[in-house]
Amino acid sequence: MIRQIVYKEVLENLLSLRFVLAVLLTVSLFAICGYVFVNGYGEQSKDFWKKTNENLSALREETDQLYKVAFFKQGIYRKPKPLGLCAEGFEQSLPNLFKVNAFTAELPATKGQANFALPHFSHVDWVLIISLIMSFAALVLTYDNICGEKEDGTLRQTMANTIPRHKVLTGKYAGAMITLAIPLIMGMLVSLIIVISSGGVVIGGGEWLKILMLALVSLLYLSVFVLLGIFVSSRTSHPANAMAILLFLWVVTVILVPSFSRIIFDVVYEEPTEQELQRRLDEAREEIWNNHDRYGRNAGSMSNNLSDPINNPPARARLQNATMDATNQLQQEHHNRCFQQALARRNFASLSPAVIYQRACEAIAGTGINRCAELYEQVGRYGADLKEFIRSRDSEDPVSLHLIGPERNMAYSWRAISHNPVDFDIIPKFRERPITLRQSLKLAVWDIGLLALINLCLFAAAFVSFLKYDVR
Amino acid sequence: MIWKIAKKEFLLNIMTFKFAVGAVACIVLTAVFMPILAADYQQRLELYNRNVAKNEAELREAVVYRNIRHTVYRPPAVLSAFSSGLEKQLAGSAQIELEKVPELSVTQRGGNPYLPILAVFDQSLIFKIIISILALLVAYDVVSGEREQGTLKLMLSDPIARHQVLLGKFAAGLVTLGVPVLIIYIVGLVVLLSYPMVALSGSDWIRIGLMFFASLAFTAVMYQFGLLFSSLARRSAISMVLGLFVWIIFAIVIPNVSFHLATQLRPLESPEQRDGLLTSLEEDLNSELRTEMGNLKEYFSKAIVTSDETDAFGGYYAKRRDIYWLNAERKLNAATIPVKLRYADKFLSIEQSNLNSFFAQKDLARSLCYLSPISTYENVMAILAGTGLTSFRDFIDQVRAHRNQVVEYIRSETDNFSSASFFAVCSEAESAEYTKLYVQAKEAEDEQAKARAEQALKEWERENPAEAVPLDLRDFPWFRYRPSSSAYLRKALPDLAALFITNVVLFGMCFAAFGRYDVR
Repeated sequence: MIRQIVYKEVLENLLSLRFVLAVLLTVSLFAICGYVFVNGYGEQSKDFWKKTNENLSALREETDQLYKVAFFKQGIYRKPKPLGLCAEGFEQSLPNLFKVNAFTAELPATKGQANFALPHFSHVDWVLIISLIMSFAALVLTYDNICGEKEDGTLRQTMANTIPRHKVLTGKYAGAMITLAIPLIMGMLVSLIIVISSGGVVIGGGEWLKILMLALVSLLYLSVFVLLGIFVSSRTSHPANAMAILLFLWVVTVILVPSFSRIIFDVVYEEPTEQELQRRLDEAREEIWNNHDRYGRNAGSMSNNLSDPINNPPARARLQNATMDATNQLQQEHHNRCFQQALARRNFASLSPAVIYQRACEAIAGTGINRCAELYEQVGRYGADLKEFIRSRDSEDPVSLHLIGPERNMAYSWRAISHNPVDFDIIPKFRERPITLRQSLKLAVWDIGLLALINLCLFAAAFVSFLKYDVR
Repeated sequence: MIWKIAKKEFLLNIMTFKFAVGAVACIVLTAVFMPILAADYQQRLELYNRNVAKNEAELREAVVYRNIRHTVYRPPAVLSAFSSGLEKQLAGSAQIELEKVPELSVTQRGGNPYLPILAVFDQSLIFKIIISILALLVAYDVVSGEREQGTLKLMLSDPIARHQVLLGKFAAGLVTLGVPVLIIYIVGLVVLLSYPMVALSGSDWIRIGLMFFASLAFTAVMYQFGLLFSSLARRSAISMVLGLFVWIIFAIVIPNVSFHLATQLRPLESPEQRDGLLTSLEEDLNSELRTEMGNLKEYFSKAIVTSDETDAFGGYYAKRRDIYWLNAERKLNAATIPVKLRYADKFLSIEQSNLNSFFAQKDLARSLCYLSPISTYENVMAILAGTGLTSFRDFIDQVRAHRNQVVEYIRSETDNFSSASFFAVCSEAESAEYTKLYVQAKEAEDEQAKARAEQALKEWERENPAEAVPLDLRDFPWFRYRPSSSAYLRKALPDLAALFITNVVLFGMCFAAFGRYDVR
């Protein structure tokens, strides 16, 4: 019997105007999304490789002397990801340049990409289409699922049969989900076909698995709205009223809540500003400078003459290293505060299933703010590796003073760091370690759990309401 | 008869569930969020005042004209609570330097780099999302719903013309939706004005009035879309589905897709190309400066004494100079500053073309957005609130004008950058006297004469201390950002006109559709 209901629901939906409109709209948007992605991805990859190669060739020019390699500020750029097609994660407006040398990793910078005059929220990706348009379509498909049938009088006839109510409800739910899955899968396929046939984007094995995961999470997300539709439909007696409530709920959860959190937090918490960071850096430097005796005799001497007896190079290097460590630590703290603030705002916004869905998709696709922070961390670790490398190469040079410190002047004029040439091939190079499927699942598991929980609650609510529904 | 229909429709609408939900939602949201938006404005205003005061205090410490290197800030727009536009995206300050083009940080996003993952909330969101949906919901069944109930047949059996029915329905819709719009504006303004730091000027009130009319016109457009679909479809369910899909296309699809198309169709100037141009220009400048320096080398060869101190903005001023050094430096300034100013204009034109490529992209995106009344409305609101791109371009222009004024001011005060007061606190006469005494002390023949000369020098120095007196800035052209309301109005006019024209066209289409509507 359940199968019969599902069959009837699907057929009825397939023939309706709203289904046709939904399919047309979503599939064409998915097509646009694929097309736009192909163009953007090609350009971004070209740009990325160009800049990365420029960076490496500049590094190669520094290899004639080891200390130059240590001081050279490498520019690490963020690589565009094929899965940006599915969840771009606002990467266009997030930092994309990380400068690093053996001593410090600068704060992430945003360099020449998006137009500052355009709003941030203008990237068409799968997540946008699904979280806004398809969730809307889900409501439009289900708002009259129960109360509409009541008005038509068909619900009474169904119930006159020997079918229990839970079966009717499950049938209706399954019918709506199958109907929604059609444009979803069609759209994803269209978009993937466009992307793959363009030839510029290679999607590997692990990524196919991730895309499958994304499709499943999308279905889970859409099921929230299907259940919401059925629930509201079984609480009201007129489809028009159901639509009004559903639209209101949709607007609040999908559009308003995600934008509330920022303004609320902006008023309540003060942002960590660059001036504040600068002030703290100055304070820390002054503190170290005022107590320079701690690092040895005459650590604060700035004389450039090595033979000057006032100079004490090891103490000076210690002082410089201490200053650099303090700087690095403060920068790290500042970065973490920025990152935590953004996360806190988003966690607050995750009252909305759209935000939960967005977060889950970003985690699975390995894009977005988490990737940026992870990349910054990797860049920092790379800087430390580079320092170790410099230290080990430097120890092979008998002429060097073996004082690995961030003062270029010392390294240059006193050979505090070796001046021997170094083989370009053995210098460690930065390579981003992509997030594995397991890691991303670990990140996403809470969000998926939350979505499942919302589903369960709504299903229970819909079930109870439908049990008590007056079908007359 | 029109009035009777309008009254009946109005009463019917007011009593509906959907209207109650929508209107209550709007008003509650306004009442809850307006205080937050106003507090946010107040915070930004405080920050602005702090910045301006700090900067002015530092500027008043400047001792020589060379070190006038202050920063000017753009005040937050008071109406940003109604439409936040680009307010939070663009920092809006610029450093004024004599030798450089104003370094505009308006093009840089300040603050936390991770915040772009969050959307910005403002009052216009309530209008553009909730009121527009409400308008569609109120309108979708006015014709097709009445046909389903059979009341349309009854009504038209009376001796009443169809256009009267339509006009009545239109008027009723407008009045119905005008009620929540009016309440939102009143609540919003009352909350906003209850904040002590908020002060609205006359032009602000005009702009608020225009924003109100724009909101009404926009609501009417959305209502008429609903009316059109209602008089095209036979069943109200169909007209609702049509209306909702059109709404989602207007609200989400068109804005997003048009921004994308704009970035694809009109790509930005590459930053590498700009950097290349800037570097080559800098090289030209440096080579020209080197030749000027070379010409002046001999003047510096005689120089003896120099001593500097810092004053405002990390700059240095000359505390003591012998007359040769002083004169040489004066000549150097008179020769190089005009060259640097000339190059500053060239740098400016490169920056300008770069900025223009951003603006062109935005303008294209805006033109594409005209397809959607929701985007058009958003645009009008941002322009009228003074938070749109217009306002930022205005700010950039005013900053440039201000820089030119400052340059002219310094030029006139320092006799074309050639006077000593441009970089030094010691005057020519003092330097000459100092040099004389100094040379006497240096070139004294015997110990006694030397001691005497040194004594004289010391005494002279005690009598004429190199006192650093802050500049007299009475005639200084202080920067004050004046939002030019008339320019905003001119910019907003096409969009306002577009809204009105859409209204008229839609009414025509409704009329045509309803005229042929089968009421059975």
